[in-house]
Amino acid sequence: MKTYLVRRLLLVGPVLLGVSVVVFMVLHLSPGDPAEIMLGPQATKEDLERLRTELGLTEPLPVQYARWLGHVVQGDLGRSLWMKRPVLGEVLGRFQATLILTGTALLLSTVGGIALGVASATRPNSLLDRLSAVASLFGVSMPVFWLGIVLMVIFALWLGWLPASGMYSPYGGGDLRDLLAHLALPAVTLAAASVTIVARLTRSTMLETLGQDYIRTARAKGVVERLVVLRHGLRNALIPIVTVVGVQAGYLLGGAVLTETVFAWPGVGTLMVQGILARDFPLVQGCVLVVALCFVLVNLAVDALYAWLDPRIRLE
Amino acid sequence: MRLRLVWIAASFMLLVLGSVGPAAAQPAGTLVVGAVAEPVNLDAAQVTDFNSTRVIRRITEALVAFPDNSTQLIPGLAESWTVGRDGLSYTFKLRRGVRFHDGTPFNAEAVKFSFERQIHPDHPFNKLGKYPFASFNFGTIKSVEAVDEHTVQFVMKEPRASFLTIMAGAAANIVSPTAVKKWGADYPNHPVGTGPFRFVSWDRGQRIVLEKNPDYWKGPVKVERVIVRPIVEDQARLTELLTGNLDLAVNLPPDFIAQLENHPKITVLRGQGAHVWYLGINNQKKPFDDKRVRQAMNYAVNKEAIVRDVLKGTGLVSAGPVLPGTWGAEPGLKPYPYDPERARKLLAEAGHAGGFATTLWVPESGSGMQSPVAMATVIQSNLKAVGINVALQTMEWGAFLAKLRTKEQEMFALSWAAGNEDPDLVVYPLLHSSQWTPGGPNRALYKNARLDDLLQQARLVTDQAKRAELYRQAQRILVDDPPWIFIDHEIQVGAVSKRVQGFTLHPSFDLRVETISLK
Repeated sequence: MKTYLVRRLLLVGPVLLGVSVVVFMVLHLSPGDPAEIMLGPQATKEDLERLRTELGLTEPLPVQYARWLGHVVQGDLGRSLWMKRPVLGEVLGRFQATLILTGTALLLSTVGGIALGVASATRPNSLLDRLSAVASLFGVSMPVFWLGIVLMVIFALWLGWLPASGMYSPYGGGDLRDLLAHLALPAVTLAAASVTIVARLTRSTMLETLGQDYIRTARAKGVVERLVVLRHGLRNALIPIVTVVGVQAGYLLGGAVLTETVFAWPGVGTLMVQGILARDFPLVQGCVLVVALCFVLVNLAVDALYAWLDPRIRLE
Repeated sequence: MRLRLVWIAASFMLLVLGSVGPAAAQPAGTLVVGAVAEPVNLDAAQVTDFNSTRVIRRITEALVAFPDNSTQLIPGLAESWTVGRDGLSYTFKLRRGVRFHDGTPFNAEAVKFSFERQIHPDHPFNKLGKYPFASFNFGTIKSVEAVDEHTVQFVMKEPRASFLTIMAGAAANIVSPTAVKKWGADYPNHPVGTGPFRFVSWDRGQRIVLEKNPDYWKGPVKVERVIVRPIVEDQARLTELLTGNLDLAVNLPPDFIAQLENHPKITVLRGQGAHVWYLGINNQKKPFDDKRVRQAMNYAVNKEAIVRDVLKGTGLVSAGPVLPGTWGAEPGLKPYPYDPERARKLLAEAGHAGGFATTLWVPESGSGMQSPVAMATVIQSNLKAVGINVALQTMEWGAFLAKLRTKEQEMFALSWAAGNEDPDLVVYPLLHSSQWTPGGPNRALYKNARLDDLLQQARLVTDQAKRAELYRQAQRILVDDPPWIFIDHEIQVGAVSKRVQGFTLHPSFDLRVETISLK
């Protein structure tokens, strides 16, 4: 187990290196550069060329990449072209907000999804099961930005129950209550698709598990139904569910980019969008690198969970 | 069993929803402004976007200023100025007794410092920043001399009639030398100036807080504190305004205006804008090199319908590049009427009775672009009606700008800002043949020898009446030999809560919250 984890940890480096190459190429090969965007339509050719030279964009791409990488291995992600601030501090400063949002959404989708799935599986074809099937189709098909705006109009504009945007109210506030109020809409929006995926998967694996012989045996022994479902059923159905939840964690980190933009949530997502639109290369590279690291670590944690859930898996 | 699990899920949701209450009451004297995007940094010399300059101009100021309702030039931090006879020097008398927010006295040395850090590559603070428009704005400055404590002289390499207008721009704002020396490369996040508000704090992605400058030289500021919140999504900005979490929002999409106008707590404001929105045509490509084709296209497009139906009245049909009502505008100019019959006739005369096919590049969004794709779609169908088959290609703003430098464009949608202060800042770069892309912004590759001549003359004469006459002649030429399809001039739309008094939208797109008093 330990050697397995160490081996996996050693792989993190090459994975991040690959990610950084891809992101670097995509950014630099897409049309438009920081100088073009900064100077806008009014730019003269001389201004553009001067700014490109100052920004170090005139050198060959491998040279630019090597220089950037050289700084990164020393823990220096560079300085944002526009904000004039070190990228690392900027990204880490925003990362907490993203973690709060994706963490809450993951919790909502895991707890909500498993609860719904188990409930549907224990009474297949009941009203709840059918409603959950319809809701799943809806949840998966809705684009995040659309759902976000609809929820915002209903709960913020019409009902006035929740604030429409931001993480804290602009003045005062700042306590947990304030945070939760601001968190509700973006977290539900972000979790909507995942909750249905987790629910559908839980339902089908639970149905399969509950049809197994040992469940019949447990029932025949007279074990109370609650324990049959949760201890004998759910525990054995958990492996595929954990896999999907792990994948969902990555999906949520990606989905946070859109959700954060819609709700003006001050996380890495809004920062990344700002960076992409401005072609702020160091900033976008820094954001992606941190998010990728997070994704890799979540996957690692999921693998470790398998062994804990099912002692037969020894991760050879 | 089933019920219990549903209950767990439901109570979990309630736990989240239950911690909710009405928004905290707004403290008296605090104004909350919704910005379309977060400012990138707060050094006027190092930014190029309105979201940044709208905040920066509250903190720092320039020698020359605009009054609260127009773009006529008035004294700002300079009390007065004189222009040398040949236009080769400008001498500014500085306002006395003014201090920066950090206590540093405002004087000739501070002015000299603010410009030299941008234009002299060997200045100790030049390398600590990037000054994107320094050569465009200040390239004609030879030197800046501090004549005495309160007098500064700018010596020019060559005359430039629009120099005073440039001196009113944000890049010409005077910064505290003490602050720049103290913060170095980090100054853009710690701006210090002489303006009505001083910088307090910046929570990234959340808010910028400004506090009133109690010693403001122009007189007392009535708002105690300004909070600027970046809210990119239009619907979120609108909702925050309607629910009382914002006092002021600008750049509202046209579709929201009717809803806001009927709202009891909101006042909708309109103001003259600074853009000209045009459909560029590559004048060097066939069949567009024939001016009859370009005239026909101007007749074919129903500008009134675009302004009425797409922009919901937030535009003024355009007759040329110069903003109507400004000093250089030709008052007799009439927009091309919508006349598809005439368009067909002109096309037939030019030998295109059967029409032709072409491509139109459109950015999805961009500074001053209003509703580019919807507008271009109307234009496409108008042109189709006279036989011109247009294929629309939409692009992301950065990619669009890059592509326009290839000279491969046939038609493109673009807008140009800062048009109301001086026609030289619009007509010359957009239409003089020395400014062809990629060297300059003349992306229509327009060339008219008489126009070139008039624009050059107007640059060298300093008498405004004479310059105005030259620009009027130039605009008449542009109607007969149109470089583009003229579409519209944006009308700014903003909305304020009823507690906001005394605010108007400024024609330069500045956001003068210091004029506000809160009820």
